[in-house]
Amino acid sequence: MLGYYLQLGLRSLKRNPVLTALMVVGIALGIAASMTTLTVLHLMGSDPIPWKSDKLHYVQLDNWSADQPFYDDGRPPDQITYRDAVALTEAGKADRQSAMFKLSLPIQPENKELKPFQSLGRVAYSDFFAMFEPRFKYGGPWNRDQDDSHARVVVLGKDINEKLFGGQDSTGRSVRMDGSDYTIVGVLDAWNLRSRYYDLTNGAFADPDEFFMPFTTALDLKQRSSGNNSCWRSPGDGWDAYLASDCVWMQMWVELDSPARLAEYKSFLDSYVNEQKKLGRFPRPLNNRLLDVNQWMEDQQVVSRDVEVQTGLGFAFLVVCLVNTIGLLLAKFTRKAGEIGLRRALGASRRDVFTQFLVESGVVGLSGGLLGLVLTGLGLVAVRALYEEYQTVAHLDWTMVLTTIGLAILAALLAGLYPTWRACRVQPAAQLKM
Amino acid sequence: MLKMTHLQKVYRTHLIETHALRDFSIHVREGEFVAVTGPSGSGKTTFLNIAGLLEEFTGGSYQLDGVDVQGLGDDARSRLRNAKIGFIFQSFNLIPDLNLFDNVDVPLRYRGFPAADRKRRIEEALGRVGLASRMKHYPSELSGGQQQRVAIARALAGSPRLLLADEPTGNLDSLMARGVMELLEEINRQGTTIVMVTHDPELAARAQRNVHVIDGQVTDFDEEPTLKRGAETGDSGLAREGVTA
Amino acid sequence: MEIRPILSALMRSKVSMVLIGLQVALTLAIVCNALFIIGQRLDNMNRPSGMNEADTFWLGSSGFGQGFDAKAVQQADLALLRQLPGVASATTTNSVPLSGGGWSTGINLQPQQNTSTADTTIYLVDSHALDTFGFKLVGGRNFKPEEVTRTTFGDQLKPASIIVSKALADALFPDGDALGKQVYMDQDPPTSTIVGIIERAQQPWVSSDSIENATLVPTYMPYGNYSRYLVRAEPGRRDEVMKLAEQKLSEANPSRIVGRLRSMEQVREEAYAGDRAMAIILGAVIVALLAVTALGIVGMASFWVAQRTRQIGTRRALGATRFDILRYFQTENFIITTLGLVAGGILAYALSLWLMQTYQAPRLPWYYVPVGFLSLWLLGQLAVLGPALRASRVPPAVATRSV
Repeated sequence: MLGYYLQLGLRSLKRNPVLTALMVVGIALGIAASMTTLTVLHLMGSDPIPWKSDKLHYVQLDNWSADQPFYDDGRPPDQITYRDAVALTEAGKADRQSAMFKLSLPIQPENKELKPFQSLGRVAYSDFFAMFEPRFKYGGPWNRDQDDSHARVVVLGKDINEKLFGGQDSTGRSVRMDGSDYTIVGVLDAWNLRSRYYDLTNGAFADPDEFFMPFTTALDLKQRSSGNNSCWRSPGDGWDAYLASDCVWMQMWVELDSPARLAEYKSFLDSYVNEQKKLGRFPRPLNNRLLDVNQWMEDQQVVSRDVEVQTGLGFAFLVVCLVNTIGLLLAKFTRKAGEIGLRRALGASRRDVFTQFLVESGVVGLSGGLLGLVLTGLGLVAVRALYEEYQTVAHLDWTMVLTTIGLAILAALLAGLYPTWRACRVQPAAQLKM
Repeated sequence: MLKMTHLQKVYRTHLIETHALRDFSIHVREGEFVAVTGPSGSGKTTFLNIAGLLEEFTGGSYQLDGVDVQGLGDDARSRLRNAKIGFIFQSFNLIPDLNLFDNVDVPLRYRGFPAADRKRRIEEALGRVGLASRMKHYPSELSGGQQQRVAIARALAGSPRLLLADEPTGNLDSLMARGVMELLEEINRQGTTIVMVTHDPELAARAQRNVHVIDGQVTDFDEEPTLKRGAETGDSGLAREGVTA
Repeated sequence: MEIRPILSALMRSKVSMVLIGLQVALTLAIVCNALFIIGQRLDNMNRPSGMNEADTFWLGSSGFGQGFDAKAVQQADLALLRQLPGVASATTTNSVPLSGGGWSTGINLQPQQNTSTADTTIYLVDSHALDTFGFKLVGGRNFKPEEVTRTTFGDQLKPASIIVSKALADALFPDGDALGKQVYMDQDPPTSTIVGIIERAQQPWVSSDSIENATLVPTYMPYGNYSRYLVRAEPGRRDEVMKLAEQKLSEANPSRIVGRLRSMEQVREEAYAGDRAMAIILGAVIVALLAVTALGIVGMASFWVAQRTRQIGTRRALGATRFDILRYFQTENFIITTLGLVAGGILAYALSLWLMQTYQAPRLPWYYVPVGFLSLWLLGQLAVLGPALRASRVPPAVATRSV
C-alpha cells in the first residue's frame, strides 16, 4: 500500500511542477541555511577529546592587580606566570601536568634547496603527549629525564616532517632551529584537531603546531613566547626580571583522574597561593579555577557569538520556509478536495487518506532534504571561503548528513500534518453532491 | 431594449473555426419576458454572454438600450453591464466567503453608490425576495432556492433595465423552481425586461414570447407580442396564451 | 476601497491568512535585526585607520641564532630600504593598525597610580614614522632623529618624548592642552613629554574599546632577532616595491628569513574577514528570506486566484472592471501583509531586546521597522501583481459556464 501512496504522491507532485518546485526549494533552502550554520556550531563546540575531557583541567590563578581584575567580570587571568608554571609542574601533585607556550622559531633545513622558514610550535613538558594523546607516526615523545636534563630534542608535526624529510622516518636525525641543532625523537601522525583547545588564548582555530620542544630546553635559550603576554605592572629590565615578574604568558594543564583527585588538587592550589601571598604576591582574594576542557572552551567562547547568531537565524529561516510549505501544501490539498471525496466514497478510510497525503508530504521532504544536503555542502564551501580559520569545522560528517535528511523529512511531515488533517476531514458527500 | 441584427460569433483556434452564432437577429422590447430555448450546443449560452456583454461578437450589430456596444472597451462594457444588466446564473454564483448582505452589495460597490444608498437598496432587494431577516447568513447556510433568491436580489439591487437569466431553475427542484419563476414574473410585471435562456419547454412556456435557437440561428422568431398589455395585468395565464398564439 | 468585505471574506479562510501573515511577521523581525547587524559591521569596516593604506606594506626579518646582531641588521635594513627605487619612506615598527597583534599599556598622569588614566597601544618607531604611516600631525612636532633611542629587548621603555593620537590626548587632557604635558608610561618616573599630536591612529585590534588611543614611541628595539618594517611606496608602485624589498633584504643578509610580507590592503581585509563574512552570510539569508516570502505570496495568491476563478468571473459579470479585480487582490494582500507587519514589528523589537540581553547588542534603531514596513508592503504588492493580473484577465463569461 505504501508503494501505491508513493506512486500517487509522485504523480501528484509531477502534476503541479511549479508548486512542487516551490515547496522543495523552500525546504531545501531552509534546511541548507540551518544545517550549514548548525554544522559549524556543532563542530566548533564539540568535545575534542570526549574520552577524557572531564579529566583534563586548565589551571587559572589570580595573580592580578589588587585594583583591577583581569576580566571586568572578575574571572582570573587566562594564562599563568613562568614562576607559577614551573613551581606547579615541579610539585607534580597532579597525575600528569604540563605548562606550555607557543613559540616561533626559524628552521634552517639541511637541504640547501629549501629556503629557511619560520615555524610555529609549542614548548611543553613530556606529559603533554600522554595528556592530549596525539598519535605518533615514528618514534615517540621525549621522557621526563630529558625534561630534567634540558635535552636538545624535538618532536615534529607530520607536515613539517613531510617538508624536511619527504615524510620518511626522521627519528634520530637532527634539525637546525634558530642556530641550534635538535635531535628528532618522534614524528606525529596527522593530528586533525577541530579546535586547538589546549591553547585558546592564542586562537582556537589557529594552524596546528609544527613542532614540540621541551620546556626546560626552550627556557635555556631565553625564548619568549610568540603568543599572548599580559602584565599588570612592569616586569623590570632583562630576562631574569621577566621570569620573576607577574606577567602571564603560559598555559598550564593538569590531568586528574577522579573527582577526589580534583578536590585534592584544588586544595593544593589554594595552599600554594596562600604561601605565595605570604611572599607578597597574589594581592587579590583567592580565585583559583580548574575548568575541564568543555568548561574552558565555553569560558573562552570557542563558539563565537557570530556563529550562534547565524545558527539562530538559520533556524528562524527554516521556520519561515516551513510556514511557507504549510501554506503551499494546504493550497494543494484543498484543491484536491474532490479527489478525496471520491476516494472516501470508493471506500478509503480517513486513515488511508491521511497516509496518502502524509506520504506525499514526506516525498517533498525527502527531495527537499537531498537538495538541501547539496546546498549545505555548497554552504560549507562558502563558509570555508569566507572564514579562513574555519577549515576544520566547516565539514559535513555522517551524523550531519543523516541529521540533515532527517530534519528535512521531519520538517516536511510537520508542515504536512495540518494540511493532511484538513484533507482527512473532507466529507465524501459534500464533494459529490453535484 | 435589446436589438441584435445579423450577429455572428466565430471561435477560432489554430485548427478549426466554430460558428457559435451565425446571422442571429433578435429584438427584445422594453418590458418583455422572452425565453430563449434550444438544445445543448445551439448557441444559447453564447447569445446570453454576448447579450450580457461578457463576450464580444465577430460580426453584425448589437444595440443595448439604444447604445451600440460594438467597439466599446472592456471598462466601458463593465460599466454598462453594471448599470443596465442584472444576471441570474444557473449555479447562483454567490460568493461563498461573503454573507448575503455583502453578496448583494457586490455590484453596488462597483457602481459607486454612497453607503446609505447601498444599504437601503440591499435591504429592499432582500426584502423583495423574502430574505431580509437573513442578511448576516452565509450562502452555505441556505437552500438552493434561497440562494437563487439572493442571486435575484443581487441582480435587482442595482435597478437594472434588463435581467438576463441563465437556466435560473436548472439546479433547483420543481417546488423551488416554481417559486423562483413566480418571483421572476413578478419582477417582470413591475417593468423589468427579462431574457431567460432555458432548455426546459415548460419553463419557456411561461414567458410571453419564445425564441428558438438551433445551430446558432434563430429559427422561430415570434411576431410582435400582441399580448404585451396582458402581461402587465399580472395574469400569467394570459402570458402563456400569448406564446401559443 | 472595499476593505471591510475583503477582510470579512479573509476571516473565512483564517489559516491561509495566518500563514502568510506569520511569514511576513517573521521576515520583518529577522530582516530588521539582520540588516541592523550588517549596518554595524559595515560601519566598523568603514572606520579610517588614520594611515595611508594604499601605498604601504610591512615585512619582517627573523635572524638565526644567538650571534645574530639584530640591532645592526635593523639599521642596515632601514638604510637599504630607504634607498630602494620607488620607496617613498620607511620606518621600523612593532605593529601596525588592523594587524591584530601589538602592544598595549596604561598611561598615567601621576606616579604610582593604581588604575591608569587611559589605555593606549604603543608603536615603536623612528623619526620617519609620520611620513611612512601617513599620520597627520595636528599639533606639536615630529620626532627629531636624535630623540630615537636604542632599547634592548626586555628592558623598560623610557621615552623622553612621545607623539599621541588626538583621541588619546583628549582622554588624558580633556581641556585640549595635552601638548607639552608630562605623562607616565610606567608607574614610575621618568615622565614622557607629549611633543606631537596626530589626527588619528587606530590600534592593531579592531574590536578594541579605545581603538583610536595610540602612542608613538621613538626607539629602535628588535624583538630578539626579529624586526619589522613599514614601507611606503611612491603612488602606484607598491607591488613592485614589495617584491624588490623582499629580494634585496634577503640578498643583503642570508642568515635570516624575510617574510610576513603584507600590504596594508591585505591587513585590512584580514582584520575584517570575520565581519565581512558575517555581513555576507546575513545578507544571503535576508535575500533568501525575502525570496521565499515573495514566492510564498505568489504561490498562495495563485492558488487563491485559481480557486476563485468563478467568483472573479461573477464579479466581472456584475460589472467589475479589470482594474477592480486587480485592486481586489492587491488590497487583500495589503491587508494580510499589514496584519503580519504589525505582529512582525512587535517581534522585531522583542528579538532586538533578546539580542541586547544575550549578546549586549545595541538597541535596534526605531526607523528600521517603518522602513521594513515599506519594503515588505512593496514586496507583497509586487509578489501579488502577477497572480492579480492573471485574475484580472479572467473572462466574465466564466460566470455562465456550467460547473
